[in-house]
Amino acid sequence: MAATQKLYPRATVKRIVKAQANRSLSKNADILIFLDYMLFMQELMREASIRSRKAGEKHISPNSVRKVTEKTLRKFKG
Amino acid sequence: MSSTPNSRARRSARDSEVSEASTPARDTTLTKLQRLPIHTRYPSTPSQLAASATPRSSSRYTPGNRGAAPSTPYGLRAMQRRAANTPGRDRRKSGRGQRETVFDVLRNLSKALAPNSQPIRSSPQPPPEPEPESEIDEIDELDNEPAPERPRLSLPLDEVEEDNDEGSPEIRPPRMSLALEDDDLTHTSVEYPRRATFDRDRGRLSTMSYGARLSENFGDAMGLESGSEDGDATGMILDAGGQDETLISQGAFDRGGDTEDLGRFNFDFNFPSPNAPADDLDQDGPLNDDEGFELPPVDLGLGPGPESDYSEDGDATGGFGLELNLPARVSMSESPGLVGGGLRDEDTVIQGSKQKKISRHGIPVPTMPAGVIRKLATRFARARSGPKAKISKNTLAAIEQASSWYFEQASGDLAAYSKHAGRKTIDEADVTALMRRQRHLSNTMTVFSLAQKHLPKELLQDMRLAMPPR
Repeated sequence: MAATQKLYPRATVKRIVKAQANRSLSKNADILIFLDYMLFMQELMREASIRSRKAGEKHISPNSVRKVTEKTLRKFKG
Repeated sequence: MSSTPNSRARRSARDSEVSEASTPARDTTLTKLQRLPIHTRYPSTPSQLAASATPRSSSRYTPGNRGAAPSTPYGLRAMQRRAANTPGRDRRKSGRGQRETVFDVLRNLSKALAPNSQPIRSSPQPPPEPEPESEIDEIDELDNEPAPERPRLSLPLDEVEEDNDEGSPEIRPPRMSLALEDDDLTHTSVEYPRRATFDRDRGRLSTMSYGARLSENFGDAMGLESGSEDGDATGMILDAGGQDETLISQGAFDRGGDTEDLGRFNFDFNFPSPNAPADDLDQDGPLNDDEGFELPPVDLGLGPGPESDYSEDGDATGGFGLELNLPARVSMSESPGLVGGGLRDEDTVIQGSKQKKISRHGIPVPTMPAGVIRKLATRFARARSGPKAKISKNTLAAIEQASSWYFEQASGDLAAYSKHAGRKTIDEADVTALMRRQRHLSNTMTVFSLAQKHLPKELLQDMRLAMPPR
């Protein structure tokens, strides 16, 4: 079960998508969008941790995140 | 083949005995050959047959002939067959047969070409003569180089910026790197005035500024000090081109350990750096200014933190990572004095991205709160690499950048889907379509099972209400 006790800022997500897409959102679409965002984060962190581990870093470094970002974004291209 | 007269004349000298004596006693030669093991190695060519006809000729002939005619058995066999097939054997014996062996042909060629080859030598010779001149030119070229390179510097900068925009979160930082490059350029450009002073004051400063003098001095004081400079500078300075040398020397000029790092960076950046700022600096110009420029970035940027970044970059990807990191440091330390056009732009852009981004449609986009991102990131990182997973500030910034890109991309896709469906609002169906296309949903994996996995119960409930399960 999800560890996030506090709800994510729904209004913020809605506003972000609204601004980027220039379209309004249906009432609960933002939940799904956030769900997708969580999947994205999961994938991103997974790739980043793999990469940082390969590079022998103790923690995930910003560079490994950066390197992985494009790949992950492409994976999430609809 | 074409050189029949020559070959005949030459051959006649050697083989006169052979050709003259050849005709009478083939049979005897064959028998002798069979007896002698040595001869069997060299099956008889017509010339050999002829030569061996008389006893004395054969005795003389074999030792001398080893070198000349019978070189390869295959060639000799071919010669024999030809001799057998052609009606006029006698003629062939005279030496044409020998001629036709590959080596003979080559020999003839070489002999024929020997006199002609001299003019050929002459053709390569002219280039060597100009070469000494070209050496002198190289020195001049060193002087000339800085000017052409400036354009190069400007071009790579644009490319770097573009690349960053496309792929990596910190596009702007690379621009920041430009600032460093600007410094470098300024050094080079500023150095022109320096040269004159240096050359005059050379005794004091020589240890400090080898590199700068190298390229520049040749131009200015070629005749006077060029020789001494060559010895000192080349020995001291690195292998790299004039520019690199100048940069390094500058670094040495400014400081010891820290500047060394700068020097490395400078190597990467030299070529891409823009010209325009350099020109401005030139006008401003004095030596002191240069030092001032370099120092602030060194102090602020090259602390322990950036070094760690540097090492990481080296591990992951050689040069590219460096470029990204440097700009960031520079941004930290930005010195007002540096001001190039590029720098100002970068600053504004960075601030904009940090504070409020404006979407494609001109609507200000709020950023995802860092706390939420951090929570998500640590959660997934923990799931991945254990409870100790820690996310540094810089990493968080990279993740924020990535997530903002994600939202931009996702909302663009969602807008496209809803538009295609003829709706004005983004619907749940659009999001599910997106997730399906992302391969997150399939026949076995529904939105609800995914949501159950990731979302808290309240959200799940809302979602259920919104979309009746199909």
